[in-house]
Amino acid sequence: MIATVFSFLFPSLVIMMLLQMGTHRLNWKTVGWRPALILFLVSVFIASFPVKGLPLGRWLFSFNANFSITLTALLFCRVWQKAMGIKLFRPIDFQAAWIFSAITGLVLYPMALGMGPFDPYTAGWGFSWLSVKVLMITIILAFLKNRFAVVLLLAVLAWNLRLLESRNLWDYFTDPFLTIFSLVMLIIRGIESLRKRPLRETR
Amino acid sequence: MNRRTVAILILAALAIHVWPFFLWLSNTGAHENAFVLPFQNTTSGRKKPFITEKFIIPDQGDRMVHVASLCEMPGGKFVAAWYGGTREGAKDVAIFLSFLDPRKEGSWTEPEVVVDRISASKELYRYIKKVGNPVVFSDPMDRLWMIFVTIPFGGWSCSSLNVKISNDGGDTWTDTTRLTLSPFLNISELVRNNPVLLRDGRFGVPIYHEFIGYFPEILWIKVKKGQDACIEYGKTRIIGGRDYIQPAIAVSNELSACAFYRCRSEKRKVGMGTTVDGGATWSAARKLEQANPDASLDVVTLSDGRFLMAYNDSFNKRENLKLALSNDRGKTWQAVATLENSPGHEFSYPYMIKSRSGDVHLVYTWKRKRIKHVVFNEAWIHSMEKTSVEKREHQ
Repeated sequence: MIATVFSFLFPSLVIMMLLQMGTHRLNWKTVGWRPALILFLVSVFIASFPVKGLPLGRWLFSFNANFSITLTALLFCRVWQKAMGIKLFRPIDFQAAWIFSAITGLVLYPMALGMGPFDPYTAGWGFSWLSVKVLMITIILAFLKNRFAVVLLLAVLAWNLRLLESRNLWDYFTDPFLTIFSLVMLIIRGIESLRKRPLRETR
Repeated sequence: MNRRTVAILILAALAIHVWPFFLWLSNTGAHENAFVLPFQNTTSGRKKPFITEKFIIPDQGDRMVHVASLCEMPGGKFVAAWYGGTREGAKDVAIFLSFLDPRKEGSWTEPEVVVDRISASKELYRYIKKVGNPVVFSDPMDRLWMIFVTIPFGGWSCSSLNVKISNDGGDTWTDTTRLTLSPFLNISELVRNNPVLLRDGRFGVPIYHEFIGYFPEILWIKVKKGQDACIEYGKTRIIGGRDYIQPAIAVSNELSACAFYRCRSEKRKVGMGTTVDGGATWSAARKLEQANPDASLDVVTLSDGRFLMAYNDSFNKRENLKLALSNDRGKTWQAVATLENSPGHEFSYPYMIKSRSGDVHLVYTWKRKRIKHVVFNEAWIHSMEKTSVEKREHQ
């Protein structure tokens, strides 16, 4: 039941992001509690609107039932920033999220899809080396005062509460969309930093 | 973040891992990787060789049926499941069940739909394009299980697995529960062949993955203690790669078993792996001499410890269905009987069980139009073996 209700959060956030982009183009001012609440309620309504007997949000869910907590959190940061004008994540926090997600995806997917005899996905069914590694990364990030530590914490909390359909810890940290997005972001940032470097040298 | 926030964050991180750690600690040693060997040492009450053949369903005309499975419930009733519709993967494909009570009239009941894409969509609260590949089995608590495939989009590679449980012998079923078994959109997990029961109450269900890699796996599943509607599950890989799928597991003793694989590579030979720790780890696959036309096969253990295989004896066609015996735990096989041989027709997806009475029950797809049920005892296999040995000696 709790997982079913939670499954509407991700599509609602996607719809809200799209609405924010639309209102921005129309030059409508949507920053502040009241417009944000209205946009969110409209988003939830659209996500719950039945299309061919199934709520729109559940159509998205039909194709992928486990959008990770990390992706949901990054989306929430983006939506919150546009809604309230407050940055929950600094660039360095985003960078930590992308590096973590890209590495996680690059480790998990090739092996889980059959490369070699070892399946790391098995480690996600219960407490294992995966939990220990995540705990260590969370502590290191906390020491570095990186806010991505909070997202990792929330992901484990969500896993304990079974907020996703999956019972595997990996699915709470990453999903294919997040991995692709993170890789793209890291490549873009990499190219940007390479472009900036010669300029510095000429100064 | 100030120091206090950092401290709170670290404490919260530690606290949040306490519950899974406690669960892991309390479950340490709870899993007993030892196979249960029900009826394996039972020989048929009927000493004389016998074989009976009957169809579970009448001729389906233009409609197709495929992928049958069978189980015996603790009360002695048999249940068969298969999928059927206008064509494989069509939207009107449904999963059917039929029952046989040998103590009564001895004929299969009229097939009934247990799940189709509409009911699966409603129960799973999502879009389902098609259903297929049911496997039925019963547990010692008299529960009837059905694991089957649902596909939201695409073909078989986009399958995911689902479970239904019946507490009244198949009259009513719990709502479908979807299992998440793959991190990549939870696709490409399929089921085939007979589960094995473990001493701790878990079932090891032979499943397989087919997307970029093609490999056999085991789904470990059980009902949570004291919670009838709640299941626990996980999976482990048997081997990786791109050659073998659809493992059929034959148990030798509490710790040892062999798995035989359908070969989907150009080798076209049955693959085999072994375990000596109750299915926790498996050896690398070895290629047998037995031909396999990229088709499902099944194996059971007889009371004398030998393995009996039902298979298509061809490198590229499913036009025959044979039985073979192995005296050396699956390394070599000797064909003992030909059940079907008709060029241009398909006889495929054999599924075998040993019943409480010691008889071997086999169901398979007959020309894609019917599901055939064949029952024989070990005395019949021995007589067929004797005949085939005499034939070979004569030649």
